[in-house]
Amino acid sequence: MVDRIWQWFTTRWPFYPLKHLLLDEEIAGGPSYAYTLGSSILAVISLQAATGIIQLFYYVPTIDHAYDSISYLRTEVPFGWLVHNMHYWGANIMVVLVALHMVRAYIWGAYKTQLPWLIGIGLLVTTMALTFTGAPLIWDMKGYWAGEVGSSITGTAPVFGPIMKTVLRGGETMGQLTLSRFFAIHIGILVPALFFLIAVHVASFRTTGVVGSWNKEKRKQIGLFWPDQAFKDTVVLSIVIFILLTLSVYYPAPFTGPADPSNTTYLPKPEWNFLFLYQALKYFEGPFETMGTAGVPTALIGLLVLLPFIDRRPERNPALRPLAMICLAVYAGIIITLTLIGYFSPGYAEIPAPPAKPAVTNQTPVKEAQSLSDTPQPAAAGVIAAGLPGAKLFTSAGCIGCHSVLGKGGSAGPELSATTLKDRDKAWLTQQIRNPKSHNPNSIMPPFTSLPDTQVNDLVDYLLALSENAGKALQPDSIGRKAIQKTDTVTEKAPPAPETPAKDPPAPAAGPTEKLPGHAAYTIGDADNGAILFKGRCASCHGQEGKSGVLNPGSDEKVVPPLNPVDSVLFNTDPRVFARNIDIYIQHGSVPGGTAPAIRMLPFGDSNALTQEEIANIEAYVLRLNNIDRGALLDPGMQPLNFYYLAAFIFALVALILGGIWNKRTVAS
Amino acid sequence: MGAYDNDQQPGPVSESRRGFLKIAIAALTFMSGVVLGLPFIRTIYRSAPVMETGWSQVTKLASLPLNRPTNIRFPTQSEDAFIRSTVIQSVWVVKHSGTELSVYSPVCTHLGCYFTWNQAAERFECPCHASVFSVDGKVLGGPAPRPLDTLPYKVENGTLSVKWEHFKSGVPEKVQV
Repeated sequence: MVDRIWQWFTTRWPFYPLKHLLLDEEIAGGPSYAYTLGSSILAVISLQAATGIIQLFYYVPTIDHAYDSISYLRTEVPFGWLVHNMHYWGANIMVVLVALHMVRAYIWGAYKTQLPWLIGIGLLVTTMALTFTGAPLIWDMKGYWAGEVGSSITGTAPVFGPIMKTVLRGGETMGQLTLSRFFAIHIGILVPALFFLIAVHVASFRTTGVVGSWNKEKRKQIGLFWPDQAFKDTVVLSIVIFILLTLSVYYPAPFTGPADPSNTTYLPKPEWNFLFLYQALKYFEGPFETMGTAGVPTALIGLLVLLPFIDRRPERNPALRPLAMICLAVYAGIIITLTLIGYFSPGYAEIPAPPAKPAVTNQTPVKEAQSLSDTPQPAAAGVIAAGLPGAKLFTSAGCIGCHSVLGKGGSAGPELSATTLKDRDKAWLTQQIRNPKSHNPNSIMPPFTSLPDTQVNDLVDYLLALSENAGKALQPDSIGRKAIQKTDTVTEKAPPAPETPAKDPPAPAAGPTEKLPGHAAYTIGDADNGAILFKGRCASCHGQEGKSGVLNPGSDEKVVPPLNPVDSVLFNTDPRVFARNIDIYIQHGSVPGGTAPAIRMLPFGDSNALTQEEIANIEAYVLRLNNIDRGALLDPGMQPLNFYYLAAFIFALVALILGGIWNKRTVAS
Repeated sequence: MGAYDNDQQPGPVSESRRGFLKIAIAALTFMSGVVLGLPFIRTIYRSAPVMETGWSQVTKLASLPLNRPTNIRFPTQSEDAFIRSTVIQSVWVVKHSGTELSVYSPVCTHLGCYFTWNQAAERFECPCHASVFSVDGKVLGGPAPRPLDTLPYKVENGTLSVKWEHFKSGVPEKVQV
């Protein structure tokens, strides 16, 4: 019955001709492990297709949920972590394998068959395009910038550049249409193109014949693809799969946080396989930029295309092709060198004029202190001022968290020294404390609306004491004054993007418990970036690494609550619950219990002082401070390490059994 | 590699070698297939965990008529995999007396269509397969396998709150999904 069905099938479908075409391949010189790369690439591509399709069961290509959908797959779906990490590492390994495959083809002189080599270049470009279009699909920080910079570079190419950029982005700026297009191109154009080119590639080298060994004596031995070469292929591919498993378990893809172009604390860099290009571009500036963006890739690819037509000697023995080998070394050397330089260089920020950095003017308190002790007058100013009631308040109200005075205090805001305070009068200072935005709409200083008038007066008196004494001491001239004003505005404007919170503070009655968490609570942030944001935004009150909050007179607890460790009411081992608990405070702010708390938590979310993406990153960092991983696997199917040990055991077992059979066979014969 | 040259000649050695290679290829391929395939299947073959839903305020009790089913829509905070949104749900509420209530899920127990109230016949009717339920939820006719599903509710200060739940359709038992 089965025979009859089989016969029915094979008389209607070219099973045997296809089998013959694929398997009965003769290899002059016999099979070799050097020839296994092509099969490995094919296997990895198949694996990419499988993991890619499985991801489609969960992924949505929308800018508001793409990142969350992948996070969900990775943390809440059994073995979702494995699927995603295999796809991530598969892409990386694929680039490596394609590069090695090309080097192998070069050394063996296989490019002399011409067409298979040319199609191979097409496969290389397609593979690079797949990694380029794949990264932005997650719509995380890394992918967003890879897409943004990559499409910008495309746009600088002459003639077709702007057209390609528009086609890629679906508009001038990055957005939903961009994501949809990267998605469509990734799975709808490049993947079919890849499989088509592979079919053409295989058919082509089966027509030209595989080149085999260059050794004339050895070539007399004819080996077969099936099963001799296929066995070697399978061995190598099993090793490749095991390497992929190892990487997926021990080096999972990082969570780089949801895409947020306004967060300037993130320094983007391209994927490693584009680093050489990225580095090369740095050497072409101004009018030569096009040469870099369009010329370099064209030249690199063009050389590969022309190669089989330049070198047309039939000789394939590398020992007899010294010039070709030198060219290979130079070509590979340039790419590897550029990649390494690119890897160790700072991020994209280096190329354009650096964006405004947070004030660095007061980074040298030691030096400041020395100069203070050298010159008696400012020291006297300090002494006089220190006696005022405002001096204590300066510390207790939390000012010192951001502003340094006499060499002590934070650096988030400008230092309040004799020089910086010189032109500030009482009205200006009062206004600055009450409503900093009125002086500078970009100010990140919180409005201290909850301080009673008397306390604000004390603070202002203290600050005036600091400046007045200095004023007598330093004899300002008009030029100096202008310069001071300038630096002052610079430092005020310097901290990037975020806005000052809230014109109207939240009604004290509304406790945060009634409020809902924001989007950030449901998003897996990047703890590393969160650490940077925390330093600039949170540490001034909650302390470095959230270890000890500053004094908060008038509140029941007398200090700003530390976050490391966090209040046990907020703590939860489930990262989702933990994040939600603290999110409510970060979004909506809160007023600490007590008669007249000097410091209250500002509504960073409601006031847009922080973006939801930034809040997610800060939450990931606060969780990390409390030893909770925001990206922890909630439903892993099996713990990655256990799965790895099991897989390793199975691989070892199969290898041992096969080794045993092989041994027995050898003994028997 | 060393043994390779000898094996080129046809003979029992070469045949057993090729046999071994074929077995090895099959074993290694099968191994990778199982080690990766089973987890991959598990990734797809899973049902998302039941989401805990909170109480949703539905209506003032006083506004409901006596003994006449009323369809009330109300917003619920939905957590559907990775999407959180406000979703409008509805319930059928029947006030039997000042304190006695029935709160029905609007989903037919047969195949999950939303049923309606036929005032003239004083019965619930499902438009899909003509299941018919009485005002107290009992099956009067049609293919429905169980009475209407009631939802948990509470009344606080004259306000009705409901916990939105889903149940498996087409089975005689009421199973939450």
